[in-house]
Amino acid sequence: MKKKLLAALLLTFSCLVIKAQDATEIIKRANDKINGEESSYSIMQMTIIRPEWDRTLEFKNWTKGTDYALTLITSPARDKGQSFLKRGTEMWSWNPTISRLIKLPPSMMSQGWMGSDYTNDDILKESSVVEDYIHEITGEDEIEGRLCYRIKMTAKEEAAVIWGHQVRWIDKDDYLFLKAELYDEDGYLVRTELGKNIRTMDGRLIPTMLEVIPEDEEGYKTVVEIEEIEFNIPVEDGFFSQQNLKRVR
Amino acid sequence: MKNYKMAWRNLWRNKRRTIITASSVFFAVFFALVMRSLQLGTYDSMYKNVIESYSGYIQVQDEEFWENKIVDNIFKNTEELQGKITEVSNVEDVIPRFESFALASSGPCSKGVLVMGIDPQKEKLLSDVEDRLVKYRLTDEAIRAIKSEDIPDYLARNMDLFEGNSYSSDGRLQIELGIKERDAETLMPLIEKYASIENGYFSMGDNAALVGDRLSRFLGLERGDTIILVGQAYHGYTAAGKYVIEGIVTIPNPDIDNKIVYLPVDVCQNLYYADGMLTSMVVHLRDNSDDAIDNTLEHLDSNLESPYRVLGWKEMNKTLVQQLDADNKSGIIMIGILYLVIAFGVFGTVLMMTAERRREFGVLIAIGMQKTKMAGVMVYEMFYIGLLGILAGAVVALPSIIYGYHHPIHFPSKFAKIWEEYGFEPVMAFQWIDKYFLSQSLVVAIIVLVAVIYPVVKIRKLREVNALKA
Repeated sequence: MKKKLLAALLLTFSCLVIKAQDATEIIKRANDKINGEESSYSIMQMTIIRPEWDRTLEFKNWTKGTDYALTLITSPARDKGQSFLKRGTEMWSWNPTISRLIKLPPSMMSQGWMGSDYTNDDILKESSVVEDYIHEITGEDEIEGRLCYRIKMTAKEEAAVIWGHQVRWIDKDDYLFLKAELYDEDGYLVRTELGKNIRTMDGRLIPTMLEVIPEDEEGYKTVVEIEEIEFNIPVEDGFFSQQNLKRVR
Repeated sequence: MKNYKMAWRNLWRNKRRTIITASSVFFAVFFALVMRSLQLGTYDSMYKNVIESYSGYIQVQDEEFWENKIVDNIFKNTEELQGKITEVSNVEDVIPRFESFALASSGPCSKGVLVMGIDPQKEKLLSDVEDRLVKYRLTDEAIRAIKSEDIPDYLARNMDLFEGNSYSSDGRLQIELGIKERDAETLMPLIEKYASIENGYFSMGDNAALVGDRLSRFLGLERGDTIILVGQAYHGYTAAGKYVIEGIVTIPNPDIDNKIVYLPVDVCQNLYYADGMLTSMVVHLRDNSDDAIDNTLEHLDSNLESPYRVLGWKEMNKTLVQQLDADNKSGIIMIGILYLVIAFGVFGTVLMMTAERRREFGVLIAIGMQKTKMAGVMVYEMFYIGLLGILAGAVVALPSIIYGYHHPIHFPSKFAKIWEEYGFEPVMAFQWIDKYFLSQSLVVAIIVLVAVIYPVVKIRKLREVNALKA
């Protein structure tokens, strides 16, 4: 009797573990798909939309693994040449007008990048959707005609993330991030992200446009469009250095 | 004989008694006036301090700016707008300002600062920044060098207390260090020799900054060094710039001194990518009296429509107004207590006087004087005494207040620091003769009139037979 009970218990337990792994696996696959397993290089355009004005930025982005990221602004003229570097847990910014390298304090991670609704954390990917959260499939929904997993991601206690939890919708067939809702520690919805314009780029089917809509600001929106992307390009660790931050074109 | 004449003679029949009663009224008026003048004057100097060094009496801003002080809520500085403001008769000039926040860095240190773009010449009408340039700084070395000369002990002690402080004028330095007038001639050259520092001012278009004294010490910057400002500019652009520090300024309010960086307004606009735009216009007035300010506010309000907003100094300094309001309430309670003490003092003297004269009253009534007439004489007597006391009090208080108005009391060195840490200038000032003079005198007069009820009642109830035996 006891043995049977133990066996049953073990079985349910292992089921749970498998299920949890499933959710993590789904997130990992989706994340790798858009960011590249090894590395990536992309050219993007960001439009900041405000009730009274809007403006557009263009930038290049290099990433390698989860530790390295480098972003260079190429347009408009006034902001051109500014660059951002992430190495491990350290973040740096280079500004050619003042020829100074500035270390970004962790407290600035949740602030808008270049005045957008996109945070420094989003652009430099300091936190990881795979490693910093506990994932759980909570259901299925249809988004824009595609069947999606609904996955609830609760931030791990020790993780340095700015969200309390997230809910992400991931396409079942192609592992695409189609929608995300991001909540703060108190469980209030802070912003919604939508993945749109699903196209094939560098041999992968990905959403090429991301809309970021903050919850409490009427008429605020930021749209990031991928113009060009290459996955798993050869890039040295040395590329992500302070020296290169000043040189990169 | 007429009542008032009789009362007057009665008074001088017993001079000592009259003088004692009158002097109780005199002290009451004197203390009430001096205390109130000191309270009101101190509030006034605090207001002036903040208003004239920072906010001004009236500002015009974008309607969103006050609630949300971001660089997107700014407005274009047009001739038309300026015209609409200056056409109000009480307006002398408009002073342009561009205020924002930035991260200031000197290399190893950085700090969030308040960046203020000013018109170097026009700003002199309000917060004369050039006048606030540091003249002397008591550095460790300077103090040691001065000590090595022949100086009085008190100066050595006070210098230790104020080590690191900066002064923009000789007067302030002398007061804070307690330099006595007779010593000034010998000591000032010494201080000038060791502690004076060079500073310059800027004009429009200069790539130069003036930095608050405390801020400059925090960042470890001196004149000639470069300060870096980084922040967010108009519409989310990046604000970044390098500026040469042309001068160090000392602002009485330590809160502001700790975080202020001045730039020429056009350079500041450039930094924030907002050419020709302003965050606020300070309206400089010809007449700063309360009524004139209210009037001008109303006028401007009707002249300017959305998206502009007109703000008065009370609205801009709400915390200070509330703080001083609360303090004023406690001041009124203090004065209330003073009145209570005074009232009992006056009443006590009246009581004694009545008791003393009981026999006299009895005799007068016995020989046929009417009680009403006697009460009338009594009222006149008290009226004279009151008048005498109040006049004497006011006359004596007047020169003290006038003197105090021209020579405000500076806190002794030890307390000054504490006071400054609260963000106030350590000065107790007197208020110039104003409405309060009348109201305080009136209150004392009322006290005297209330006190007169006692002898009147006493006279009415007087029984001659008993009174004669007293």
